[in-house]
Amino acid sequence: MAFPRTEHQGIGGVVPRFSWKSSIAVLVVLGLTGYSVAGTDFDVLELLAGAGPAERFVSEMFPPDLSASTLQATGTGILETFQMSYLGAMIGAAVAFPLSVLGTQEIATVGASRGERLLRSVPYHLSRFVLNVFRSVPDILWALVFVVALGLGPFPGTLALAVHSAGVLGKLYSETLEAVPARPVEALTATGASDFQAFLFGRLPQAISGFISLTLYQWECNIRSATILGFVGAGGIGQEILISMNLFDYPKVATLVGATIIVVLLVDRFSAAMRKRLAY
Amino acid sequence: MRGISLRDVSVGFDGVAALSSVTLGVEAGEQLAVIGASGAGKSTLFRALTRNVPLGGGLVTVAGEDLYALSRRRLNELRRRIGTIYQAYNLIPQLPAGVNVSLGVVGGLGSLRALRTFFAGPDAGLSQKVRAALEEIGLGDKAGVRTADLSGGQQQRVAVARLLVQRPDVILADEPFAAVDPVTTERVLETLLHLNREGATLLVNLHDVEIARRFPRVVALREGRVAFDGPPERLTEDELTTIYAGDRKEARAGADTGLPHDRSGIERSMRLLEGRDGVSSH
Repeated sequence: MAFPRTEHQGIGGVVPRFSWKSSIAVLVVLGLTGYSVAGTDFDVLELLAGAGPAERFVSEMFPPDLSASTLQATGTGILETFQMSYLGAMIGAAVAFPLSVLGTQEIATVGASRGERLLRSVPYHLSRFVLNVFRSVPDILWALVFVVALGLGPFPGTLALAVHSAGVLGKLYSETLEAVPARPVEALTATGASDFQAFLFGRLPQAISGFISLTLYQWECNIRSATILGFVGAGGIGQEILISMNLFDYPKVATLVGATIIVVLLVDRFSAAMRKRLAY
Repeated sequence: MRGISLRDVSVGFDGVAALSSVTLGVEAGEQLAVIGASGAGKSTLFRALTRNVPLGGGLVTVAGEDLYALSRRRLNELRRRIGTIYQAYNLIPQLPAGVNVSLGVVGGLGSLRALRTFFAGPDAGLSQKVRAALEEIGLGDKAGVRTADLSGGQQQRVAVARLLVQRPDVILADEPFAAVDPVTTERVLETLLHLNREGATLLVNLHDVEIARRFPRVVALREGRVAFDGPPERLTEDELTTIYAGDRKEARAGADTGLPHDRSGIERSMRLLEGRDGVSSH
């Protein structure tokens, strides 16, 4: 098909043209930014003025303390952090799975009576509520609760990570279960499979790689969180960092923080590589 | 098993009617082709026959039982006697082909046995019936292959093998040839007809009118209503023009936009539509 030579062949843009709607949206964004800057006393000049003490603090960290006792304390702290994050993710996944199954909206209710639908919605809403409570309380608050109840150490930290992981994973698992292609599952129920059988052989096999990927990601998040939990006495390398900070032992802090960064990066890389393989 | 009957059946999605007052009777053991333009309600009709869509009104009877009034348990028992096969295969792509074939009888297992089977592993011993079905469709060596790694034609054959294992009384084939090559089409059709000769009622939803003409009875849907019901000999060009009128209108609307102002192109597309629904005969 021939087009006139002189015609400008545009491909169309992406940013919307001026309209009242887009102008109001821009005003809202700018207004909220200004409001937040005022509310938080955000001041770049103050930040620049603080550069001196920050520089002093950083320079006091060098050279890092590489003595045998510090390296041993770092190794112990890192290992504990690793164990807390891993166990937290595993327990979280184990708790999340049954709750996510109950929290998955069942599609095979065509022709079901009102009573039957109501009956099915009870476990759904109940498990969603439990997962919401687990998830909406930050892990550091869970850690405070468990430290008060069980005392200092890695155990309350692990429990805190487990509860928060269960909340996050439960929601993500149930969304994964709901998002799998429905037609193969429908094909199973159309040939007489019960809801349970259709779940086992239709929905679950399609969701498993997603579950593993999400669990690995949660472990990644846990290892970052586990370093913070020590600040409230819930074990891990965070507790070592806090003690060293309080003792103004900045070279030791440098060693501990450096080791934490290395471990977090290693777990990130491992988890990302595994997830990439699963996606393929 | 007694036949299938739909009386005044209506189905709608978000206020849009997919089926409107459809009345249709199919005798046990009958062969029936369903044709119609895209969106005419063919797939919805089949989904209504397995209670996979909510009914707006009317009565669907399968084997003498009101499908939409059955208890869950009784519904599953009845569904076990209905075999389905789809254009998009609707197999579980992550499972091996052999396991997908076995799923034809999963409804017959109890919950506990299903759970045991689930944990037994994919190579825990497929039944002789499953192996025979895979052999019959020429995929005997593919039992352990991940279904997603098979070609489209092979996946459709796996779906047929599932039917062979299930041995249903009613077969609902929803556009089973739309995504496969002519050789697979003939192979799948032959297997479906073989199951029909053994007594199964066969309903095939088709895009290809030439294949539909090989069935003793053709039902055409247009905008959710039965527009034709009879032997293929009565299916004249005029009848087909009426049945596919929506598609012609769309073709004209495309021409009216003025973009492809190439008359021969439009005529070509009209001829394609006359080949029914833009899918050429195999």
